[in-house]
Amino acid sequence: MTATALKDTLGPLWPYLVVIVIGFLPTDLWRILAVWAAKDLKTESDILLWVRLVATTLLAAVVAKIVLAPTGALQIIPLWHRVSALAIAIAVLLLFRRSVVAAVLTGAAVVILSGWQVS
Amino acid sequence: MTTPDLPVTDAGWFRKGLSDGVGVPALLLMATMLGIGGLVRDIGFPAWAGTLSTLLIWAGPAQVILFGAVAAGAALAPTAFAIALSSARFLPMTVSILPLVRTPGQSLVRRLLAAHFVSMTTWVEGLRRLPGVPEAHRWAYFMGYAVTINVAGMLATHAGYYLYALVPKALAAAFLFTTPLFFSAAMVSAARHSWDWAALGFGFFVTPLVTPYLPPGVDFLLIGVVGGSIAFFIAKRRAGRGEGAP
Repeated sequence: MTATALKDTLGPLWPYLVVIVIGFLPTDLWRILAVWAAKDLKTESDILLWVRLVATTLLAAVVAKIVLAPTGALQIIPLWHRVSALAIAIAVLLLFRRSVVAAVLTGAAVVILSGWQVS
Repeated sequence: MTTPDLPVTDAGWFRKGLSDGVGVPALLLMATMLGIGGLVRDIGFPAWAGTLSTLLIWAGPAQVILFGAVAAGAALAPTAFAIALSSARFLPMTVSILPLVRTPGQSLVRRLLAAHFVSMTTWVEGLRRLPGVPEAHRWAYFMGYAVTINVAGMLATHAGYYLYALVPKALAAAFLFTTPLFFSAAMVSAARHSWDWAALGFGFFVTPLVTPYLPPGVDFLLIGVVGGSIAFFIAKRRAGRGEGAP
């Protein structure tokens, strides 16, 4: 079934239903499973360290994917500009006492400059 | 050196969480959510459906997949499946934060509430901030912090619905880029040990090499489990050699 088909059957409430059934349930399923999985875990355990490292790798992978294959307005920024913006931001972070704010502002400035050039 | 007056009750820590939530991470999240509000308008959904999605789904990538699929007229069951795959990261993320906010005899409702409010922002900030909070009040503090971040996100989604079309393209691109910038910067800044760097490096550098060959969604899971396990073995080997237990 597609969204259009659902719209015809449900009327004005269908966007909310789509958000709940197609978005909320498949996402919170994992958070609910986690409540059960974390039940007996100790804060200093090996399993917890492994799980945290898996999560860290996953988030880094999500970031890499956003830089490589972005959605929406980011697509106007050329790939190597996106990669440079991130690399410059990390360089600023490591040079300036791990200031996350300075890093983000620098990276965003690079993207704005690039966006002005191409648009 | 003077020590600031710290709260002593759950209510006090909840309020401290609320006020600590006001800050740079909230602003950066708002920049992303403005874009999602714009997306909601583009596909002809009402503004409140976008706001509701930030409250209930509370995951930028899943919201983008959902509204993008509706825009493309995609079938709903495969979309739900794609969202489930992209949100699987919440299993390790939530599992690693729940033991930190656990209190003796904690009710299931409290655990479910904390789990629901785990997002990239609250995870990164929670892991950084919670060790400094007395164990008995961590749940209250985390909930306060998460409520501020989530409400900021809902306001931005709603505002984005009306404002995003007016934002110049270059600025809109920069708004969307704050997400990868913030998470890379926050994670690099939090990295202390060689195994933290191994996990980050694997995620950043192996992903571009392998994603073209793996089914979308499954790629993240595989990268996460393989990279996380390699980092874990590095941690165990170093600990075994007495280089400081993780």
